[in-house]
Amino acid sequence: MITPVLRASRRAGTRRGRASGRPLAAAAVLLTATALVAACAGPPKGGGDAGDVSLSKTTPAAKGEIDSFTWAVYAEPPTLDYTVAFDYPQNTILSNVCESLMRWTPGLTLEPGLARKASNPDPTTWVYDLRAGVRFHDGGTMTADDVVYSLGRQTDPDNAAAWAQNFQNVATVRKTGPLQVTVKLKKPDSQFPQYMATAAGVVASKAGVEKAGKDYGTSGGLACTGPFELGTWNKGQSVELDRFDGYWGRKAKSGKVVFRFMTDPSARTNALLSGEADGGYLIPTESYGRLKGSGVGTLYFGEGLSTVNVNITNMKGPLGDVRVRRALSLALDRSGFVEAGLGGAGTVTHSLTTRAAWAAGSPETRKAALDGLPPTAPDLAKAKALIKEAGATGRTLTVATSSIGQDVSLLATAVQSAGAQIGLDIRLKTIAPNAFTALFTDPKAREGIDMFPLTYYDSITDPLDLLQSFKTGAYLNFAGYSDRAYDEGVDRATAEYDPDKRLTIETQLQKHAAERLLWIPVAEWPTAVFLNKRITGAPTTIAYMYYPWAADVGAAR
Amino acid sequence: MSFTRFAVRRLAEMAATLLCASFVVFGAMYLAPGSPASFLLSGRSASPEALAAINAQYHLDDPFLVRYLRWLGDMLQGDFGRSITYRTDVSRLLADRLPTTLLLVLMALLVVVAVGLVLGRVAAVRGGATDSAVLVTTTFAVGTPSFVAAVLLQALFAVKLGWFPSGGAGEGFLDQVWHLTLPAIALALYLIGMLARVTRSAMLEALDSEHVTVARSRGVPERQVIRRHVFRNSLGTVLTTGGLIVSTLLVCTILVETAFSIGGIGQLLELSTSTKDFPTVQAISLIIVALFMIVNLIVDLLLPLVDPRITLGSRRSSA
Repeated sequence: MITPVLRASRRAGTRRGRASGRPLAAAAVLLTATALVAACAGPPKGGGDAGDVSLSKTTPAAKGEIDSFTWAVYAEPPTLDYTVAFDYPQNTILSNVCESLMRWTPGLTLEPGLARKASNPDPTTWVYDLRAGVRFHDGGTMTADDVVYSLGRQTDPDNAAAWAQNFQNVATVRKTGPLQVTVKLKKPDSQFPQYMATAAGVVASKAGVEKAGKDYGTSGGLACTGPFELGTWNKGQSVELDRFDGYWGRKAKSGKVVFRFMTDPSARTNALLSGEADGGYLIPTESYGRLKGSGVGTLYFGEGLSTVNVNITNMKGPLGDVRVRRALSLALDRSGFVEAGLGGAGTVTHSLTTRAAWAAGSPETRKAALDGLPPTAPDLAKAKALIKEAGATGRTLTVATSSIGQDVSLLATAVQSAGAQIGLDIRLKTIAPNAFTALFTDPKAREGIDMFPLTYYDSITDPLDLLQSFKTGAYLNFAGYSDRAYDEGVDRATAEYDPDKRLTIETQLQKHAAERLLWIPVAEWPTAVFLNKRITGAPTTIAYMYYPWAADVGAAR
Repeated sequence: MSFTRFAVRRLAEMAATLLCASFVVFGAMYLAPGSPASFLLSGRSASPEALAAINAQYHLDDPFLVRYLRWLGDMLQGDFGRSITYRTDVSRLLADRLPTTLLLVLMALLVVVAVGLVLGRVAAVRGGATDSAVLVTTTFAVGTPSFVAAVLLQALFAVKLGWFPSGGAGEGFLDQVWHLTLPAIALALYLIGMLARVTRSAMLEALDSEHVTVARSRGVPERQVIRRHVFRNSLGTVLTTGGLIVSTLLVCTILVETAFSIGGIGQLLELSTSTKDFPTVQAISLIIVALFMIVNLIVDLLLPLVDPRITLGSRRSSA
């Protein structure tokens, strides 16, 4: 997904935000939030400029229980219905209330969740054997019927589920025992079982969801199974989660979690500094320094699955010539951008995917995936020569920018100055934060724009999540790129269950995309989490989107 | 003009204004890029069936006029519709958030009136250094956009001194007032400057008038002159800015609510606009327009009471 760097957008199109933005116009509407996201995988090995940021595997384990803690989130979820939970704020909250068949771990690996076992007797069959005695917040006990019903809501067109596309290869979901559900696929799909760890695989109580009717997700409980249940939702202000004493797993260390919605990045930072909020993910980049030096708590960075890129949206103009794209990539000052735009937290990259996304592969596969890609060290002489060769000297290009976050605004500026150094006239087209989202959803909004900064994060630990974006007709394939060999590669990778073999195919896809510079890769961006001195235990990785992280948070002393 | 005629005319004007405003807002939303369906799906690609289902559910495929008239018909029956983004009834969304915004606007209004009137009056009556000080202060106030004021107030009183919370709206009346104090001041600052200047110049004008000279020559005590002749005569001018003050408060609340994460109607309007949530934007816009017109009406009813020279309906109504 995309994280936009903007507040407005994230996933493709969602408001994912980021923080930043400052209203310029006086009476206008403005806003901003932004979040940051991250991406980084692993300590950079060479060639990277990680500044003084080191990634932490975890934060220190909690020493004991606490009554309650307060967490800052940059926006209020419109609804907490799991079928449309596809953005940072809702997933950060929901992951503690609703659980899925599988579970993402803080180390970004997959383990059993509400299913104690997932088996794959043949390439188009997945059998999920459920845990016995799992209680729902509204009293019932989980059975196969609840699973069939919950997954069915994702594919019901009337629900407009954000996760529907992850079920595109699903033929049927049937109960094959009191605690067994069998999913039949139309064709082998290696991504589906991984998505069962996200909100796509959430199990809620059939009785509870039906009872709530059209108000499910906006008022009353969520009828899920997680370590916390939904408490008071003070609309526009905060949402509280209360510890669920009937939880099947390890009891949460805090009796309550209060999520406060703070759209303004500086307000969020101020709340962290003043203790009104004990912690938060998605820290605005411009606040890294203030929080680090505050003495109030600790700012940790962890593995993310986010990369910052320049999305090429128009290949009908000068950018249709790969030499022009290559020249821009060679002229781009990536280190300068990481320093200014990502607060120094990030790694220059020539890969569209993060190192962490390849975690399931053998060491050789991982090395092959990230070696041999075109270099990113600036080479102005070569870049100028390429522009000349392409006959593009003096041509005009337009890059969209917005005050949604520094990852957007400063990357657009970096692209502009790279162009200036090699004889391209690159214009900035400023788009209101609210309109930035429309770039993802409305072709009209992209008219007259050749490229825009795009921060993208994977929802699962698999590079294919991003690499399938260059398939013919893919949602983020704005430039209309189409290559039969590439499309076949995506299909083969999708059908391949063996992680190492699949990643080998994906290595080829990544190489293809990198050589043709379908998007220009810029940097990996780690996740950031701030915890004050009162609390500890939160994971540092992007696993918080689908892992019940708040249950691990407790007293620091 | 008779009160009945006045009432009928004003009600008709208000209805026409609301109708125009609703049409303009609806049209503007309709023309803006992006489709509510794509925001609903978080911008992910969706099957054609899913998109068709959403479009049918919210009538997004209908021609503009059909959609507008359907919305209007529902409104007239008291049905604000269902928010596309929040998937809940708009009336419920508003009921949850409107009280916070009204309290904020009311607090800001009290601050504006109390401080603005006093400053303007002191400047006009005392003159000299006091007058200069007020002029300098109000220049600063008028020149400070509300979101800048918000940032400064937060940095000083919330983060540095810790006297007030840096955001949120609080729970329970006293806690809410405490939470909304800084936002109300940020919201009021510009208007305090404006009102102080209007009051000052209106009073200076009244001070120069003949009947004040006459009153003084007859030995009426100065304090009484100021109260009965000067201040009262200038009150009409001050009152007529009431509509402007309230509309400014309502617009600026969008910025201030965002800066302080207050989660009222202002912030909801901003969010709904960005996701093209038609029913929500329409409802909030109309509430803002209606409040503005109601304030103007109140001003017009009050004017004849404070200034006998003005009769009901003689001011060009601005509704």
